[in-house]
Amino acid sequence: MPSYWFGDVEDGSCTPFTGDPLAIAGRVRSIQTEMDTFVPPDWEAAVACGACKDRNDYISRLREVCFAAAEQGIRDQYAGKDAELLQMVRTLDGMDEAINLLSGRVAEWHQVRHPAFSRKYRRIPAQVLVKGISRTGRGALGRVAAQVEELAAARTELAKEVSSRANGVMPNTSALIGGLVAARLMSRAGGLLSLSRLPASAIQVLGARTALFAHLRTRSPSPKHGIIFQHRRVHNAPRHLRGRVARVLSGKLAIAARIDHFRGVVAPEFLESAQASIDAAGKGAGATSSVEGEP
Amino acid sequence: MIWIGDVLVSRGEGGVYNERMLGGARVWDPYRSKLAALYYTGTGREITQEMRVLYLGAANGTTVSHVADYAEVVYAVEFAPRPMQDLLEVARRRTNVVPVMADAARPEQYAPLVEAVDLLYQDVAQPEQAAIALRNCAFLKTGGDLILMLKTRSVDVRKEPGEVFRDTAATLEAGGLEITESVWLAPYHQDHAAIVCRKIRAGGSP
Repeated sequence: MPSYWFGDVEDGSCTPFTGDPLAIAGRVRSIQTEMDTFVPPDWEAAVACGACKDRNDYISRLREVCFAAAEQGIRDQYAGKDAELLQMVRTLDGMDEAINLLSGRVAEWHQVRHPAFSRKYRRIPAQVLVKGISRTGRGALGRVAAQVEELAAARTELAKEVSSRANGVMPNTSALIGGLVAARLMSRAGGLLSLSRLPASAIQVLGARTALFAHLRTRSPSPKHGIIFQHRRVHNAPRHLRGRVARVLSGKLAIAARIDHFRGVVAPEFLESAQASIDAAGKGAGATSSVEGEP
Repeated sequence: MIWIGDVLVSRGEGGVYNERMLGGARVWDPYRSKLAALYYTGTGREITQEMRVLYLGAANGTTVSHVADYAEVVYAVEFAPRPMQDLLEVARRRTNVVPVMADAARPEQYAPLVEAVDLLYQDVAQPEQAAIALRNCAFLKTGGDLILMLKTRSVDVRKEPGEVFRDTAATLEAGGLEITESVWLAPYHQDHAAIVCRKIRAGGSP
């Protein structure tokens, strides 16, 4: 008994589907088709069925159903809250790049205008320098500097938003490594689903592609950490323990990402045990430094 | 196919992707569309007014818009949401395009929607391109044609393109198709081959 988008055909007789295109699209999705015995739908059968008037009507109704299904499909794909987070993280990284580039350029420009100026021994952070230039610089230089400042402000705001959204979308991963880094991991993997499918060893070196392939091709040592180095538990750990902390941390992150994707809620007992084992790795055998608990 | 001088064109509403116009017709650029490249480098298959086409891997609807200018109706299958948004925009303005959001490797997902077609066109970046084509032959009428755009680099980057091509051709012939033409699309597209086959036996996927 074949079922088509316009209705169920049962030797000779046919029951047409009714309802709006979206309802029909939902019904089409539930149809199980056996491809071995499949006979494609026929527009004349649909007319005989009473689902449409003629060929043009057949196509235009079919189009309505397909549009409804496709629009719903796109919405579903984007509804996984990670889609927007992905764009936000990539925008953030793009802004960082632009801000660094432009503030460096502005500083160089300023130096040409003021031959007596030097950054040596003064330790002026780029942000402060740009602020100064935006106040004193004449013409285009001052305006560009002001724009960089504004961009930096927007960046800070975006970073906060990324962090808070990551806490919602991937609560467990964020709890272990912080919202911003968690979002970066997700962005590099290409989505929460892809991240949850990565093995821990891949998460550990995510973002260290050059080093990883250099290691695979030549005899250079393997990278110990990629993006996760940005988390202070890794970069604050003493040098000889960093590899161990990164390995344990990425192992727990792989589990956390899977909980985030499949369960989507905080798992307190997992977090507790994960934090404990990461802390233990950071303390190491006879190591002097200690790593604090909650990030 | 409509040629103005030695330029391939199609007649329809322009402005889909800033294509050039020539004498009121839309120029079909072989560097942007592999199907156009096939018409430049080989013979391909004439698309006529009464033809129904199943197009797998419709992407942003660039080539789809040209095929729709020639054919009666085009069923355009695409999986990814981002290009699908563009494809829907194309389909809104071309009433003979039916956009289908589904995975070309799983024809059972869209089997209730797609009628029997005269031409099956496939341009997907998947390793199992021959298997996907054979599975979709269930929609192809006996005597109908398959145009397969073989992205050899998607099948296996380590293999020689020629070897991938031979393997694919063998799979298609074992599946009951008769290869009538095969050309490389150089210089328009690198490591891409077009295989034109005819379905000689009735029935669905072997």
